[in-house]
Amino acid sequence: MRTNWYRKLIVLLLATSGWTALAAGDGQVDQATIEMNRKANEACYACHSAAGIAKPPKADIDMSKLKDSRLEPSIFNPSDHGVMNCLECHSKTHYTDYPHAEAGKSSTASCTDCHAAKVLRLEPQFNASVHAKVQGVKEKFTCFTCHNPHINIVQKRLKDPAKIVAQDNQGCLECHNDDTTYARFAPEGEKTPGQKKKRPDIDTIHDWLPNAKAHWSAVRCIECHTPAVAENKMLSHEILDKEKAEKKCLSCHSANSTLKVRLYRHMVADEQQKFGFTNSVLLSNSYVIGATRHPLLDSIVIWAVVLTLGGVLVHGLIRIVAALRRKGQ
Amino acid sequence: MSERVYLLPVWIRLWHWTNALLIITLAVTGVSLHFADPKLPLVEFSLAARVHDIAGIALVAAYGFFVIANIVSGNWWQYVPKPPGVLARCMTQLRWYTYGIFKGEPHPYPVTKEVNFNAMQALIYWGVMYLLMPLLLLTGLIFLFPQFAPDKLFGVDGLLPVAVLHYLVGTAIILFMIAHMYLGTTGHTVTAMFKTMITGWHEH
Repeated sequence: MRTNWYRKLIVLLLATSGWTALAAGDGQVDQATIEMNRKANEACYACHSAAGIAKPPKADIDMSKLKDSRLEPSIFNPSDHGVMNCLECHSKTHYTDYPHAEAGKSSTASCTDCHAAKVLRLEPQFNASVHAKVQGVKEKFTCFTCHNPHINIVQKRLKDPAKIVAQDNQGCLECHNDDTTYARFAPEGEKTPGQKKKRPDIDTIHDWLPNAKAHWSAVRCIECHTPAVAENKMLSHEILDKEKAEKKCLSCHSANSTLKVRLYRHMVADEQQKFGFTNSVLLSNSYVIGATRHPLLDSIVIWAVVLTLGGVLVHGLIRIVAALRRKGQ
Repeated sequence: MSERVYLLPVWIRLWHWTNALLIITLAVTGVSLHFADPKLPLVEFSLAARVHDIAGIALVAAYGFFVIANIVSGNWWQYVPKPPGVLARCMTQLRWYTYGIFKGEPHPYPVTKEVNFNAMQALIYWGVMYLLMPLLLLTGLIFLFPQFAPDKLFGVDGLLPVAVLHYLVGTAIILFMIAHMYLGTTGHTVTAMFKTMITGWHEH
């Protein structure tokens, strides 16, 4: 993610045409193009899929090399990039013949080729991120480290918060819940010179959080591990470490829950106070104590308590006055 | 000179005060969780959540003890209003609370070793201990283990009806607790019933 002025200029020029417009959400790919691309992709799936590996189209193909590069149409097609031809990103010049030229790997398109404006905007955020602050780690990071371009679907299209949580947390857990992958990125440990930093156990570092497991299936890591976000703004790419991450439960568990501008951002426009509940869009996926309240029910409860307290107080006062009067008589 | 009768064995008193302490803890932490707001001076959320969970489990254990001890000792019979004339006795008791008590009239149904509760008391205690408490504990346990809640109900998260029921039953028990504590002052003297609940001896 190194930046210099000429790269920025190229990026800005690229931002004016082609897939860039589509990537920014300004364009629609017509059905005929989608079908044409998917038909063309079948040639790739002939090898790069479970069916292809099980039944290779040619006898002399070394299928063992494909174990890390297989994909299923059922997964790729619904993804954000599923309307595209594989060769849009995987160089036309290197992947049309078999065996593919070795140079193909290094000539795969970068995200900037299409998402130029977004990358430009996100780069400072990433540079402030914990992943960019540790010596030797930043260089190993690309967009693909966290975002899988063959699978990921944007929040607005995925809609179901449970699916968004599963997808987005996968990007974090692939490293933070796996020793082997973590070791590939880990810097030298502060207490263990010459040795890589050991992956902190996720359960241990979150032991301050009540019902941690329930949180991980209901919200994303980035709800707490990114800075505050304004309404209608995309979450920051500045990933916060445990010192800076949100630890105030009330950020989510209160009537003014930040979940409205985070996980449920794409649903807030549909808020209709369903069944009379505040933040009822949250109820589609979770009951969030403190946030999903029923103002009318709360008023009835508060009044019931006030009237009961008032009732016993008045009863007690009358008893005292009556007892004093009896004494006087 | 007042008459004394040994009414409450140690197990009932121990259970009662354990139960009282747990209910007060759960009420305070429950309010802190439900009405969580940065502007309100309530118990810190994560602390309230942990304390509520632990006290909730303890309340389940205390309730289990209460049910078993009631069966073994035969004390459960005290909670059953005995016909005939249950309604009429309830009305007499209500009249005393709303009129007779101010006139200095004696309790219409004095406590005896055989009959600890008046009809109204027995009915309400029975409802609280055998209807509300199981509902509160069951919904609380589902809250603690949400995997047992229905996934979706009426197009919203299945935990919603469980949570609402827990909230309402919890409120009903808090209302009962307020009235119960106040009615505890209506004995032979203002503190007599509290003393009974500590020593086991009833004076009248």
